[in-house]
Amino acid sequence: MGTCLPVAPLTSGRLSMNKWIYSLVLLAAPVFAGASGGPGSADSTPTGVSQGRQIYEQYCAACHGWQGEGAANWKKPDEKGEMPPPPHDETGHTWRHSDAMLFKMIAEGWRYPFNKSDRLTMPAFEEQMTVQEIQSVIDYLKTLWTEEQRDYQKTESQ
Amino acid sequence: MRAIVHSTTRAAWGVCVLTLAIVLPALAQAQPADDAHPVTALTINSSGALLVLQDSDLFTIAGGTSTKIALPATDQGAQPTSLARGADGSVYLAGPGLGVWRYDSASESWQSLSDTLPNLGVTAMAAHATQPETLYAYLGTDGMFRSRDGGAEWVKVDSGPQEPVQAFLHSDMPGSMESGWLFAGTTRGVSRSMDCFCFWGDAGDLRGTVSAIGYDPAAPENVYAVIEGQLHHSADGGETWTSLKTPQSVTALAFSPSQGLLVGTANGNLLARGAADEWTPVHE
Repeated sequence: MGTCLPVAPLTSGRLSMNKWIYSLVLLAAPVFAGASGGPGSADSTPTGVSQGRQIYEQYCAACHGWQGEGAANWKKPDEKGEMPPPPHDETGHTWRHSDAMLFKMIAEGWRYPFNKSDRLTMPAFEEQMTVQEIQSVIDYLKTLWTEEQRDYQKTESQ
Repeated sequence: MRAIVHSTTRAAWGVCVLTLAIVLPALAQAQPADDAHPVTALTINSSGALLVLQDSDLFTIAGGTSTKIALPATDQGAQPTSLARGADGSVYLAGPGLGVWRYDSASESWQSLSDTLPNLGVTAMAAHATQPETLYAYLGTDGMFRSRDGGAEWVKVDSGPQEPVQAFLHSDMPGSMESGWLFAGTTRGVSRSMDCFCFWGDAGDLRGTVSAIGYDPAAPENVYAVIEGQLHHSADGGETWTSLKTPQSVTALAFSPSQGLLVGTANGNLLARGAADEWTPVHE
């Protein structure tokens, strides 16, 4: 999970080809969503996804990556015994959690129980984000997953 | 003086005879079956009775007596290897060629739960610590399966740890992102994941093929694992491990609400760990 640091400036170096491709996908997503039940279409509005992306970039991307790629070696504790921030894309495990659990983790944070301290591994954002903003972030995260993963997560959320 | 020595000797003999009279039946009760065969698996049923799987025979031990339970009729070659206790006290049996079965104590019969598993090659199974309908099965060729409806429908949820799973455990140890933790004993050691199957990682640096794994439901951070007959204990959820001395090579383990940690041995004996870390024969 990892601490979300203050937002880093969006440098040109970070604007990779993938970023541009992904931006195009995001812009196109509302169209496809309305037409054919595309990413996040069942539970979110296009506005929610766009807003979710903005909020994600403001609060989450510095730790979890601008494309949701997470930290390197995120599966192994660091020297402080802390788990690095995992990816939110299809290579991570965010899609394994229900909407309710994702909401809880963003709002209340989460502590890796073996981190040898009392501090939260993932900080709480309930003071920074409204309920609707947290939901929009979750809607945005769903666009980073495969169709199969979205189906799995939808079942977990029932 | 001679009279005093004579009385003391008589008293000592009396104590010896009395001790033998107490200990011998207990030792006999601690061996429910042929003691030449190692204990394969142990669990506790809803009544608190100990169930012992030994050489393809299943026994329940309660009130000082051992009763044989007929195993389900299966194809030749099926190997019962795993016992698990559900959150409601139900007893489950699994193994390669056997699939997963639940015992109905009222009708004294077994119900197959393998209809939606891809095959019967279950090498390890676990039951959720607090959700009676949630079960886990590891198939050597197909990975991890989970059922949330008592075994009616199994869904593949994960490939499992990198190494094959030999023993499997669900624990309600706090700190999970979901409802608990999964501990898998593999050919490398103990692997641990939150029960979201988020990812499997090493639980400490204990190395070797794990043949049995268990935990203390009253103090879930206490996890136990057996490697090549040696019992190991972790008091911090699998982060660090220490070896525990046992009088015999350990092959199975379980936690009894009344007797605490119980082990089955390679000699077919059942032993309970006392408060001073001593081991005594089981005689429920």
